[in-house]
Amino acid sequence: MSSKRERGLIELYNDDPERADALVFGRRADKGADGVGRRGFLKGAGLATMGAAVGASIPFAQNMPSGLFPAAMAQTPAAGAAAGPKVLKMDGKADLILLQEKPLNAETPDHLLDDAVTPVEKFFIRNNGLVPEMPADINTWKLTVDGEVDKPLSLTLGELLNRFTLKTYRMQVECGGNGRSFFAPETRGNQWGNGAIGCAEWTGVPLRDVLQAAGLKSSAVYTGHYGADPHLSGDPNRPTISRGVPIAKAMEEHTLIAVRMNGKPIPVMHGAPLRVVCPGWPGSTSQKWLTRIWIRDKEHDGPGMGGASYRVTKVPMVPGGKTPDSNMKVLESMPVRALLTNIANGTELPAGTREIAVRGHAWAGEKTVRAVHVSVDYGVSWNKMTVQNPHNKYAWQRWQGKVAVPSEGYYEIWTRATDSDGKMQPHVAGNWNPQGYGGNPFQRVAVLVKA
Amino acid sequence: MAFVRAGLILAAALAAGWWFAATPATATEDEPENLPEGPGREETFYSCTACHGMAIVTQQGMSRARWDDTIDYMMARHGMPELDPADRKLVVEYLSVHFPSRQRGATNPFLKR
Ligand code: HEC
Repeated sequence: MSSKRERGLIELYNDDPERADALVFGRRADKGADGVGRRGFLKGAGLATMGAAVGASIPFAQNMPSGLFPAAMAQTPAAGAAAGPKVLKMDGKADLILLQEKPLNAETPDHLLDDAVTPVEKFFIRNNGLVPEMPADINTWKLTVDGEVDKPLSLTLGELLNRFTLKTYRMQVECGGNGRSFFAPETRGNQWGNGAIGCAEWTGVPLRDVLQAAGLKSSAVYTGHYGADPHLSGDPNRPTISRGVPIAKAMEEHTLIAVRMNGKPIPVMHGAPLRVVCPGWPGSTSQKWLTRIWIRDKEHDGPGMGGASYRVTKVPMVPGGKTPDSNMKVLESMPVRALLTNIANGTELPAGTREIAVRGHAWAGEKTVRAVHVSVDYGVSWNKMTVQNPHNKYAWQRWQGKVAVPSEGYYEIWTRATDSDGKMQPHVAGNWNPQGYGGNPFQRVAVLVKA
Repeated sequence: MAFVRAGLILAAALAAGWWFAATPATATEDEPENLPEGPGREETFYSCTACHGMAIVTQQGMSRARWDDTIDYMMARHGMPELDPADRKLVVEYLSVHFPSRQRGATNPFLKR
């Protein structure tokens, strides 16, 4: 996907997909009575051209919606960058997709998310500032709990571990901006694909035990979390980010002050030695390098709580337009999402393949996943997969099954989850908001069954 | 007891090099020359890289209005120093010419009203 011509093609598709279809593939949208294109029919030369572009014939081409850019030709997440995705090269880390180095942000390619418990090396990195220095003696690390409490606490790591009982759960942590790159027009921030997610085994002290020890006053409404990561500007008085959650979420038994990730001390890159794990909510509420929990008597107003940050609209806004801050509300639970993880985008399958075993994970923030469906004919028919129960609340769920392909050629595997409220992943990222939260269109993976 | 146990685990982890390096092995140099040529390139490079790399900037595709809004956002949220008006014009111009919205939807009919 690096030649000039191909890049031009992507731009053309982005600008005006129907025109691109007409120009490149001779595909015309079939206009319904209301003048809106329904389905494009690829024929003759156009079909051959698209086939040549993806490197195979396209058996379900007649189902392919007009203006649909083949997944095989879509670039991976950081789509904007003409140079294509960069790869993180770091000791202890797999080849993650590097979004930026300062601050360091890297996402996990979908097909590296196949483990039931995400190993540290495959866990995405989302930093907002610089990585803090660790003290020579890590046990001197201090956590303060203050604000609307009867007995403010100041505990060293050692005291925290001595005083409270540890609990272990498998829980997903997902960046609030996961899926941002699917919005059109582009929304501001790191252009994550689907891989700003990991489900690790977290061990820690339930936040509620610590809050109970401090004694919440009746005026306690919200938490405010602070970490040790220095602000990028170097200003020591400017917190990098400070978000929080309503007291009810802080008191939920799975919300932890974590000390271990997958049975080992949390690595520096993932928030050592203490971090919040606030499962199912935007990852920014899971403060890394935790130093302070400030109990507030109102919704927390630290950096990252206001404006369009981690907020979605109350009333839908015009994509690309402006809306007043008063139309924004805090994003709480993350939306439903499923990923196919055993087959990478661009995989060639051996000649003669007529059935493909598929599996992956699905999750839904505060909810669970009720169903996962897979289509190999552009959504004309959907196959129901089996979905396992979560290992514990907030652990992603394994799904698996089989899909049949009638011939050789180019296919796209579309994977769509439905949450316990019956909400499905949409075809496109809807509910546009300036910073691009809640984008969860279903995943598309291109495969080629060889001739 | 828990304290001692945790201390031991941490010490072992350090010895095993578990706390891997905090910086990527392949840090790329940010240079103005890596950006598309045009008026405002240097001004943009130097006013943005005071805090972060250019990658967070070049990942974006935005309209002029949203680039302009991004400068306000950098000042309000992150303490970016105010640019003098001539420089700000250059920077916003540079960003909107070289990093425009590339995606479908950028021409929403309601945006023109
Ligand atoms: C005083 C420091 C500072 C300066 C100068 C600065 N920024 Fe930023 N910028 C930040 C910080 C801090 C972030 C947030 C990083 C994060 O959370 O990942 C950020 C994030 C961004 C983002 C992503 C927005 C988001 O919400 O994630 C964009 C786009 C951006 N900056 C553009 C610019 C541009 C363009 C310039 C130069 C005209 C600039 N910045 C100059 C501090 C600065």
